[in-house]
Amino acid sequence: MQSEHADLLAGYRARMSSAASQEVLRSIEREAFDKGGTIAGMLAKVPSLEPSERAGAGRAANELKRALEADFAAARERLAQAALERERSGGDFDATLPAPKARRGSLHPLTQVQRELEDLFTSMGYEVLDGPEIELERNNFDALNIAKDHPARDAMDTFWVKTPPGQERLVLRTHTSPVQVRAMAHLKPPFRAIAPGKVFRQETTDASHEHTFHQMEGLVVGEGISVGNLIGTMQTLLQGIFGRAIEVRLRPGYFPFVEPGFELDARCPFCKQGCSVCKRSTWIELLPCGLVHPRVLEAGGIDIERYSGFAFGLGLSRLVMMRHGIEDVRHLLAGDLRFLEQF
Amino acid sequence: MKISYRWLARHIDLSGLSAEQVAADLTLSTCEVESVERFAPCLSDVTVGHVLTREKHPDADKLSVCSVDIGQGAPLQIVCGAPNVRAGLKVAVATVGTSLAPDFKIKKSKIRGVESCGMICSERELGLGEDHEGIWELDGAAALGQPVAAALDLADFVIEIDNKSLTHRPDLWGHRGFARELSAIYQRPLKPLDTSLPPAGALAPFPVRIESKACARFMALCLEGAANGKSPLWLRTLLLAVGQRPIDVLVDVSNFVMLDLAQPNHLFDRRRLSSEGIVVRDARAGERLTTLDGIERKLEPADLLICAGPKPIGLAGVMGGEETKVASDTTALVLEVASFHAATIRRTASRLALRTDASARFEKTLANRDLPEAAAGHLVRTLQSIQPAVRLSAPVTDQRNEQALVAATAELSILLRPERVRKLLGVALDDAAISAILKRLGLAVSPADKPGWVQVKIPCERATKDLTEEQDLVEEVGRIHRFGNIPTRALLETIRPPQLGARRAIVRKLEDRLALAAGFHQTISYSFLADSLRAKLGIEGLPHSEVVNPVAEGLSAMRRSVVPSLLGLLESNRRHGQDVRLFEVGKGYLPYAPQEAGISPTSSAEPKEVHELGLVWARPPKAKQRFDEGVLAELHAVVADLLPALGRADLVWGPARTGELPAFAHPVRALVGRADKAPDARAVAVLAELEPSVRRALGLVGDLDSEVAFAALSIDDLQHAVAALATRYHPVSSFPGIKVDVALALPSAVPAADALAAIERAAKGLARGIELFDVYSGPNIAAGHRSLAFHVVLEDSSKTLEDKDRHKFLERLAKEAQGLGGELRAES
Ligand SMILES: [Zn+2]
Repeated sequence: MQSEHADLLAGYRARMSSAASQEVLRSIEREAFDKGGTIAGMLAKVPSLEPSERAGAGRAANELKRALEADFAAARERLAQAALERERSGGDFDATLPAPKARRGSLHPLTQVQRELEDLFTSMGYEVLDGPEIELERNNFDALNIAKDHPARDAMDTFWVKTPPGQERLVLRTHTSPVQVRAMAHLKPPFRAIAPGKVFRQETTDASHEHTFHQMEGLVVGEGISVGNLIGTMQTLLQGIFGRAIEVRLRPGYFPFVEPGFELDARCPFCKQGCSVCKRSTWIELLPCGLVHPRVLEAGGIDIERYSGFAFGLGLSRLVMMRHGIEDVRHLLAGDLRFLEQF
Repeated sequence: MKISYRWLARHIDLSGLSAEQVAADLTLSTCEVESVERFAPCLSDVTVGHVLTREKHPDADKLSVCSVDIGQGAPLQIVCGAPNVRAGLKVAVATVGTSLAPDFKIKKSKIRGVESCGMICSERELGLGEDHEGIWELDGAAALGQPVAAALDLADFVIEIDNKSLTHRPDLWGHRGFARELSAIYQRPLKPLDTSLPPAGALAPFPVRIESKACARFMALCLEGAANGKSPLWLRTLLLAVGQRPIDVLVDVSNFVMLDLAQPNHLFDRRRLSSEGIVVRDARAGERLTTLDGIERKLEPADLLICAGPKPIGLAGVMGGEETKVASDTTALVLEVASFHAATIRRTASRLALRTDASARFEKTLANRDLPEAAAGHLVRTLQSIQPAVRLSAPVTDQRNEQALVAATAELSILLRPERVRKLLGVALDDAAISAILKRLGLAVSPADKPGWVQVKIPCERATKDLTEEQDLVEEVGRIHRFGNIPTRALLETIRPPQLGARRAIVRKLEDRLALAAGFHQTISYSFLADSLRAKLGIEGLPHSEVVNPVAEGLSAMRRSVVPSLLGLLESNRRHGQDVRLFEVGKGYLPYAPQEAGISPTSSAEPKEVHELGLVWARPPKAKQRFDEGVLAELHAVVADLLPALGRADLVWGPARTGELPAFAHPVRALVGRADKAPDARAVAVLAELEPSVRRALGLVGDLDSEVAFAALSIDDLQHAVAALATRYHPVSSFPGIKVDVALALPSAVPAADALAAIERAAKGLARGIELFDVYSGPNIAAGHRSLAFHVVLEDSSKTLEDKDRHKFLERLAKEAQGLGGELRAES
């Protein structure tokens, strides 16, 4: 009897020590303690024994049960400790493995710049407007004081759209300025508006010329708007774009829809002595602008004795190229993932 | 256009002002300066020498050995090959060490055994034109030992102006105009210029007849006593400085006057003109003329011709004819100074791709009063200063076409309010200061009848285009005062907080969702769609808006929607990468065609522009493990997430109706999303794999074999949907719901939508969520059937659901399944 118990105990202990997981251990434990298990079997035999043997056998079974319980608890603890140790060891972790690639898309750099500018201008009370890209010749040229024979039309090589005979001629807009015309038709002064968008010029493409690019037009109309306001606004705009105050200079520039018209140059933000961006001049030609020409205001139905205004244009494509050091404008619309993924 | 600093100094005293300074001030007050460069820099590096002796070279017939005094040290021995070298000449000497070009440095050398310590230069070697006949013979008075540039007063700088910044300033197409600007900027007077005509001889005036509206004025002057030949040095160097090749004195003087006063003119050899005189008329269709450059030009009625009698001899305002040009033996001339219609000249020059110095000036609208006579006088006086024998042999012919004259001449007087100047510039200049600036520009200011106004008289050369109304004068004051001197002012107005706009707000959220959550890359494409791509996609038959003048053959169509542009990008991108996910938010252009249903033009001629979101996804095909794998299902997951991302319920997805799919969509593996369940609701979104033959045509086979899906969503419709669709929020119930998993074994032909509807009905409005998690067919499922397994969450906002609710639901669902020809197969 005694030796039988000892053998049982030894057998269980051997199996416990070789159990590799808590699950295995638990199945061994069930074998010992469940209904019909080892201990229960022993206790079940007790009533059939001689009365003299009953007490001893009952005690012995309980002793074996306690011994097994203690051993199982120890084995569980041992396995738990081993699991902790294993987890702490960190396996074969190699801190020098390169990071796996996270799946991420991208916003086009033009979208990013356009959004920044939209946010900047809406924070200053400008509405954001849109206009058609296939535009009436009238809005693209005539209403902007660019008459049929105006030499300025030559400079804007125009895509003409096939139109049925007898209908108004259509162009792919050569600038965002026709939105000025449309804005004046439905906004009552005073107002401030910007119009970002795609524009088209029929010209041979190379690293710095594209037939399709992006611009942003700005228009402010109100009482007493002056050149002084224009300069102040442009300084604020540049501060918003470059994140710090930028010195500007204003020089005459000719655009038929403004009078006076300017080119606003910004002190090159990328250098002190001249670089490739500013073509060694330390100035960057950034913003054509001016007071809205009275003919344009009139075409928009605005009382020129009461109101004046200013307009400006910003080359979004150019701004994106400057910001990221993009050497070839044709990358912008080529749809090559090797380019797009970088933004 | 190039202007010469030395030339400007003929008109205004520039002492104390460097060329760089002049350029900087022109930049800030007048126009765009591109560069400032030294003219013929070698002239400053060579020295005036005096040839003391000339001996024949002992071993070479054509070489001479000269002794040349250069004003310092011992005379230099120089070997020279020029035939005209001789004792007593003043010459230009390049001493040892002087560089005449980057790769041409003078060294001490031995020529046929004789030592040579320098070089006597020809004009060509110094950048003064083509003359290489011999060495340059300097004026005998040139100061010995001085740099040639200083000794002959040839030092000059070339200021290059951006022509585009002169479009509106015909007066600045000559040096005198620039000098007038500098006179205003520096407050220095213009030097007088004698443009009076000398007394005329008694011959009959040269006959001229104007027969075209495009000619406003034609002056003809008969000159005699000319002797053609090489121009004097001052003239040749001025022309060279501005990039004009000197030809002969007659041509050079003609060019000089044009570059000085901006008025083109032409000299005819009198012998080549008929006695009938000159007729100015429109060309006839098919007429031909050989221009000075030797090219025969085919003319059109829109061209303006100068004719000798019936015979064309010049293309008015563009280029003269070959036959009547001056020759080396020309002595009698007819000088033409005329005024032509700007646009006529521009169109002819542009059509013939013959942009000349003359046409560039005429097309800016030159003044037709004062200027032509000034140019005529200036030319005669200049020629006489070189050749005193030249005389005007007959009274000047001055034909005027009054109608054209009036049309081309603007109002010459403008009323101005000085207060308006102050207000628009935002600057405190008093009336006197404003008047002073205008006067400096050559404008005459006088009091006007109305108080607060002044009258400003505009000289002809500024009146044709540039200065025509009050605000033009505001600019004049501003630029001379300097815009940079205007104080900065903030805009003072109440800001009304603007809306970004519903579409922009939606687009931003969609872009963010796709780029940041779904791993798609945004692109922006050209609006043009190649004919070849249209053919591959099977959409070449659809009407497209087209441009008349595409950048390239076959690139005239404007896309109707965004997806075709994206499909065109797949092949090249798959070549460089495996997984291609692109999206674009952009416009489609629908040509106005009344028969197209649902498209109403904004005006009779304007095409409709639609805003779209397009997505494409291409990747190497892989075996499908689960029902929710595969590029179409995965793109569906992305697209079905978009409206929820806008805080709205998803679209209602289902099969497409006839005509709703583009030609490049797979006919079966396609679906559309609608904003509501109504049977006639429009498709807002289309989602499909590629039509198999299109996939092949796009080259997505072989090494690039791809599974491809695309989606097209109308942003305009989404915008309406967002407004119409319910918000997604559902109150959180305080009573716990119960989760039931069910599997319905149904005939395969029963759409999943019917199974979903059956669950909805069985749940009697308590279904809080239904999610498909498995589609299975195979062992244990009858042939022709499939099992659809769903997680269903039942929830009641007013009570806790119990086991009996669950049982009732399952009983009802079992009946529904039977109704669909199948059974409720499992539940848990
Ligand atoms: Zn720089």
